[in-house]
Amino acid sequence: MHRFLDLTLNGVSSGMIYAAVALALVLIWRATRIVNFAQGAMLMFTTFIASWAIDRTGSYVVGFVVALAAGLVIGAIAERVLVRPVEGGPPLNAVIVTLGLLVLLEALAGMIWGNIPRSFPPAFTIRGFDVGGSRLLFSPFDLFTVGAVLVVAVGLGLFFTRTNLGLRLRASAFDPEVSRLLGVRVSRMLTLGWALAAAAGSLAGVLVAPAVELGPTNFDVVLVYGFTAAVLGGLDSPTGAVTGGVVLGLVLSYVSGYESSALVPLASLVLLIAVLMVRPGGLFSHAAARRV
Amino acid sequence: MLEVVDLVTSYGAVRALDGVSLTVPSGSITAVLGANGAGKSSLLRTISGLVRPRAGTIRLDGADITGRAPEEIVRLGVAHVPEGRGVIAELTVEENLRLGGLWRRDRADQATALAEAYELFPALEERRRRPASTLSGGERQMLSLGRALMPRPKLMLLDEPSLGLAPLLASRIMALVARLRERTGLTVLLVEQNARSALSIADHGVVLGLGRVVAAEHPDKLAADAGLRHAYLGF
Repeated sequence: MHRFLDLTLNGVSSGMIYAAVALALVLIWRATRIVNFAQGAMLMFTTFIASWAIDRTGSYVVGFVVALAAGLVIGAIAERVLVRPVEGGPPLNAVIVTLGLLVLLEALAGMIWGNIPRSFPPAFTIRGFDVGGSRLLFSPFDLFTVGAVLVVAVGLGLFFTRTNLGLRLRASAFDPEVSRLLGVRVSRMLTLGWALAAAAGSLAGVLVAPAVELGPTNFDVVLVYGFTAAVLGGLDSPTGAVTGGVVLGLVLSYVSGYESSALVPLASLVLLIAVLMVRPGGLFSHAAARRV
Repeated sequence: MLEVVDLVTSYGAVRALDGVSLTVPSGSITAVLGANGAGKSSLLRTISGLVRPRAGTIRLDGADITGRAPEEIVRLGVAHVPEGRGVIAELTVEENLRLGGLWRRDRADQATALAEAYELFPALEERRRRPASTLSGGERQMLSLGRALMPRPKLMLLDEPSLGLAPLLASRIMALVARLRERTGLTVLLVEQNARSALSIADHGVVLGLGRVVAAEHPDKLAADAGLRHAYLGF
């Protein structure tokens, strides 16, 4: 029972990181119908920037804020400079552009900060909580991880549904042409959408970095699981992204704990195929309704 | 109000508009008629900025607006209700309405405009929190009309408002457009395949054929011209 609790808490905590990456992918997919293959590299880059800021100031909070701000900026620049020219073109062009950005950022990070992975500090201790004399596999940093992603996810949800700017963003994603006729400056909304998505990705980077260490290619696997979570959730639904992340985190944690950690990549593939066989559009798909 | 001179619009090699000129006087209802593919929708899409013209000029109250972006043209008081109504199905009824007036940024005025839209279409108020995808065809038409009215436009471009509606509903929509003009002094450029019902409320009629103006007359004269009726209007 103790083990089950440990694995569950651990699964939720790593699931939240997948959820943040999935959220980043879903926001961009919804707005521009582009799968951002560079998301892993973008969050790697902003985590390096955060690491630099922590070294300079000695403050984790500054590094955390800098990471999110850098995400906003990199996301906006990526959309304006690289993605804008291929928007509305054949989907393959956008795929190649984001893959190009992935390679570019990984090479740049290697040139600037070196290719040898370095450690990245957690916000709080990663020593598990002591409950009733035994130690849980769930630390204050895990709690921080869960809390931070929840705050960002709920905050984004409220922003999208309760504010006028959020309404404009959603309208631009659903129907850009009609939105323009109603006076929405859709191109600005796309830039903002990329910026917000990249910031959500940056959050995941800072949260996962203590576990995977900081190196130019260390976050590739996070993108793979984030993408799995996004597809599980239907790729189109922010709620689905968060749910998909948690489900994936739990399943992988149980497989790793009860069977073997070597089975984790296989388990994520099996879960993905199983869900897509039952619900081809993902857990939270509205795809059928959209195409009418 | 609106003046279009020698407008040419093409999609690739296909010329949708081949030198169209027309004037829409302030406060009038002008009906643009013609068969499928005559260029009616292209005319509206070019005026509202969705499509850039190859040549020609569009003037609104004397100012040249040719080639400007749709989000700028709507700010000059031009509301385009697109073909198929353009209701955003994923948003709620009220979100669709609010979206129409957002660019004005005047919160108090937006609230008044919303109340007026509900007064005009009480059916929408009952369904305000429902997704627009749950509305019937007639309700969708009301929603897109109400949404276009939110920023209090001077000129409304209406693309086939009766398309897909039952005849009774279609004539109700036409009567409503006429009433709006009476009440607010709105200028309307109305595109219709249903020539008879459009001419019943219009002050001016323009017939398009293959991207050119074939006739521009008083509606009664158009309706009386048997040759024109058979060739272009289908009644």
